[in-house]
Amino acid sequence: MTVETAQSRALDLVPFGAAQFPSLRQLRPVLLPVATAGTVLLLWQAVCLVFRIPHVILPAPTEIAGELWRILPTLLKEAIPTTLDSVASFCLASGLGVGLAIVLTYSPLLRDTLYPNLVAFQLVPKVALAPLFVVWLGITSESRIAFSTFASFFPVVISAAVGFEGADASTLRLCRSLTATDWQSFRLVRFPFALPAIFSGMKIAMTMSVIGVIIGEFISAKAGLGFYILYASSRMETAAIFAALFVLCMIGAALYGAVALAERHVRRHYGRR
Amino acid sequence: MAHVGRAVGLPVAFAIFCVIAWEALCRFGHVSSELLPAPSAVWNVLAGNPGILMEQAVPTTIEVAVSFAVACAVGVLLAIGITFSAAIREAIYPNIVMFQVIPKIALAPLFIVWLGVGGKSIVTVGVFIAFFPMVVSTATGLVGAKPDVLQLCRSLTASEWQCFVLVRFPYAMPHIFAGMKVGVTMAMIGVIVGEFITAQAGLGYIIMFASSAGETATVLAAIVVLCGIGLVLYGLVALGELAVRRWYGGELPTSGVI
Repeated sequence: MTVETAQSRALDLVPFGAAQFPSLRQLRPVLLPVATAGTVLLLWQAVCLVFRIPHVILPAPTEIAGELWRILPTLLKEAIPTTLDSVASFCLASGLGVGLAIVLTYSPLLRDTLYPNLVAFQLVPKVALAPLFVVWLGITSESRIAFSTFASFFPVVISAAVGFEGADASTLRLCRSLTATDWQSFRLVRFPFALPAIFSGMKIAMTMSVIGVIIGEFISAKAGLGFYILYASSRMETAAIFAALFVLCMIGAALYGAVALAERHVRRHYGRR
Repeated sequence: MAHVGRAVGLPVAFAIFCVIAWEALCRFGHVSSELLPAPSAVWNVLAGNPGILMEQAVPTTIEVAVSFAVACAVGVLLAIGITFSAAIREAIYPNIVMFQVIPKIALAPLFIVWLGVGGKSIVTVGVFIAFFPMVVSTATGLVGAKPDVLQLCRSLTASEWQCFVLVRFPYAMPHIFAGMKVGVTMAMIGVIVGEFITAQAGLGYIIMFASSAGETATVLAAIVVLCGIGLVLYGLVALGELAVRRWYGGELPTSGVI
């Protein structure tokens, strides 16, 4: 370990452009995973070509890319409801979750009453309720948003409640002895302390809300990427499935990235701690 | 004692109150039973023909158990690979973390194309979804073993294998169980979604079938059974954790809930 660091230090100290260009060793954490992904794609392509695997079973990456290019307008059109529903249910789940967590923090009675029930709900397979939301709210977008909010709400409440609860007790006591109001000690101590926990809950909620919307689209929708994937699979258009999956993954990664960026921004605002 | 009574009594009382309020709403509020059947109606389905629900619960439970077991085994093995080979870690780990973020459930229809309608593709969906939290959590635990302790072992000429069995593995236990707790709920989600879109048997299939037939009481009864299965499986994992912690002398920190 120490030898390795010493070597990399030595590499960094080499003159002639070492300062301008990052060394190979520094790029390794980026290059290796990208190279692995690239190798897998190449192998996939080779296997498809050499063994003449039927397109229905496994289309080659180049075919998928071609299909993606061909149906991109359709996919983007289908992506709009999926993205909007995911974002809406994420916002609802985050707002309601943090709100309820605040209530739980300030009312011991409600905390003792509700928290164990919330944890129990966290453990049961809430996905099974998806068809009920169709019965209640129909096959509309609202029904999918409601289901998806329901699925992604619990991680936010639990993380945020744990975060608020975990604020440093001595700091809170100090605030109180300096006659800070409840609101001040919440805004200046509890909330900043809870931020990492809140964001970890929100990151789970972001993935869960996309999953919720996709499941909703599987069972009820007439539009959206989930609907498109199921439709393409019933027509055995495997390349189209992969193309739709690619777009969906991009959306999922972008939404997750947005939450991660927001976290960085907010934490910088509150200083390094 | 009063504290324990409050900690158990309040949430249970609240749950019972909700059920009574629900029953009253259905009895006196003239809610259509297709929209929201009363708890008593759900109970009638559960008590009336338990045979059908139990029969359908068998394939679902087996599928969840199999996919959870496979996900655990493959996940822990891959995590061990990640711990011992820097090349594997740097090459694969970022890709796995990337997979954590994307909505994997969308791949379910693809497994049907590959493996056909039935148990095989459902189990594969479950494994595929439960596998990633297992790897990430286990790898975090194995890599995070205290360097001082590992250095001490090495200076006492312990072999890599001894270091692994005596230090890394016990140290990773809370993380492994945290991953297993997420994994068991994930396997459940995967199997249910698989049954929604493909099955000819199982509780997910019953839920879909009954909801399209407007038999909401049956849907709720099936959900109650599913929740029961989910809680039992989660409880088994938690019990396993308790047993392992006792075995290691209770010095391990807990993994917490999910």
